[in-house]
Amino acid sequence: MNLESIVKAVNDGMIPPAIYSDEEIFRLERERIFGRSWMYLAHESEIPEPGDYVVRRIVEDSFIVVRDEHGEVRVLANVCLHRGMQVCRAELGNASHFRCPYHAWTYKNTGELVGLPFHEDAFGGDANLSRKEMALMPAPRLAIHRGLIFASLDENAPPLEEHMGGFDYFLDFYVNQSEAGVEVRGPQRWIVDANWKIGAENFSGDSYHTPHTHASVVEIGLFREPKANKRKEGALYFAGGGGGTSYKLPERDFAANLAYVGYPPEMIERMRARWTTAQRALISDGPFMVSAATLVPNLSLVHNWPVVNAEGQVVPFISIRLWQPISATRTEVISWFAVDKLAPAWFKELSYKSYLMCFGSSGMFEQDDVENFTSLTAVAKGQFAQRILLNGRMGLARDGSFLHEPIADWPGPGRAFTGYGEYNQREVLRRWGEWMLDTGGSGSNGSAR
Amino acid sequence: MRSAPLTSTEGLARVTLELHHEVTMFLYEEAEALDNGRFRAWLDLLTEDIAYRMPIRVTAAHTLADSLLDGADHFHEDRYSLEKRVHRFETDHAWTEDPPSRTRRFVSNVRAWTAADGDDVIVKSYLLLFRSRGDVREPDWVSAERTDVLRRAGTRFQIARRLIAVDESVLRTQNLAVFL
Repeated sequence: MNLESIVKAVNDGMIPPAIYSDEEIFRLERERIFGRSWMYLAHESEIPEPGDYVVRRIVEDSFIVVRDEHGEVRVLANVCLHRGMQVCRAELGNASHFRCPYHAWTYKNTGELVGLPFHEDAFGGDANLSRKEMALMPAPRLAIHRGLIFASLDENAPPLEEHMGGFDYFLDFYVNQSEAGVEVRGPQRWIVDANWKIGAENFSGDSYHTPHTHASVVEIGLFREPKANKRKEGALYFAGGGGGTSYKLPERDFAANLAYVGYPPEMIERMRARWTTAQRALISDGPFMVSAATLVPNLSLVHNWPVVNAEGQVVPFISIRLWQPISATRTEVISWFAVDKLAPAWFKELSYKSYLMCFGSSGMFEQDDVENFTSLTAVAKGQFAQRILLNGRMGLARDGSFLHEPIADWPGPGRAFTGYGEYNQREVLRRWGEWMLDTGGSGSNGSAR
Repeated sequence: MRSAPLTSTEGLARVTLELHHEVTMFLYEEAEALDNGRFRAWLDLLTEDIAYRMPIRVTAAHTLADSLLDGADHFHEDRYSLEKRVHRFETDHAWTEDPPSRTRRFVSNVRAWTAADGDDVIVKSYLLLFRSRGDVREPDWVSAERTDVLRRAGTRFQIARRLIAVDESVLRTQNLAVFL
């Protein structure tokens, strides 16, 4: 199949397995998606002090995400301008300078080249090679939203706010619970033999898998929500560049619903003050509580509220995660725990325990998810399997009309449905198709120059 | 960045040959229980106040001393959460281990000291976990050093503390549906 027919099939909700296994498709994704879109790199709380840095990748490209000596966040290519050696080989730390181990070219944490051994003798001094004009290459675009640090390799990328669109309304439930924002721990990093899109699609809207894939966590009394009939009462929303799942709440009361998922009164009051009337309405009038979500292409979020101890206490947690592709069939999962900075100490500790039990490298939800993701990827390599078009048409009638109407009085931006349906996964893949078919000729989004 | 505390053995006396043999056999038998899927029996080897931790390893500059994070873990478990994990494997729906992995835990380099404050024994051991799943996948390996505090419980030992210092910063196993 050529790319146009693949995208056409995907847009009809019939998915060629090759999109999860074909290295040629991945090569195009690397250029047309990861080379253009806004990529999440780090959270500001990981680098609170001047000189603090973490090293992160956009596919193969390594970047130093550093708070420079003036307190400004920078995203600098981890590449010495002389011979291309990585100037920083640690994963995190604090440094005023990065010195290349090869020939000792030395850069300040602003990126400026300040040390060049035998500058006069070897390069003819500033007259022939001006140090002032040389600096570690910054990522073409950098944007920070609620502490989340994003970069784009495309200098013509639309603003991050435009990319995110109405999804920022939902993102606030995870990372904007008070004026202080969140602090993160981690990340856990591990490699799975799965295509990166599978997790991104799953988190965006797969409420249908929860009752079966995660049956065991209900059976052991860890999480009371995902029973089949209950899960389908949640809303599936999509707005701007992202979408997610939610659970139906028991009351029509803001504070009672947040208390139901385990937030203490002081945090609820801060949320009440922080969120807009329209945001509060999701929780009081929907009434819905956000759960998993994805901002395209590969940033996902989770919010669940398991039973965290033998006393039966329910405590929610938030996780931020990146599906970092390595190849068509391998992905590094990078998963952070996040909690509001102003949360009481006891809440932070119990919420952290909730996270570790449920998601991340050892999480009991995640363990079963990855089994699905790796198996699907392995199957998608098969030549006979590639004759199948996978059915992603849940929620659509044969003629393409919706089986259920969108929620009429949805308090948030975008569109939302209750009941089971793959509305959001199709939306994620529709955007994937747009990027893939955009060869960068004329549009403002183009980068293949 | 803060570094995870490791139980110090500085100035402590090594255990007798007889006790060394006893704790080594304890670790071998623990590995045998886990490799054979006897998770309930494994839980019985842990104290009620078990603290079971596997901090995240990072690649840090200059030294290994700061390479285990404090407050950022793969596991940070107590009795409740370990019981839940074992209970989950006993259901019919823990798909990630159904069919189960074939695991082999190689335990070596056992060193043991008598704790300063009584009968506890501090044991350090190397662990190499081999994990094979299905038929087409490459096997996974997890390499770590464990520091345990073993406590006398009648005629036998129980694990009161375990700190797993994993060697990889990026795990090459699809999940930690395994105990280390």
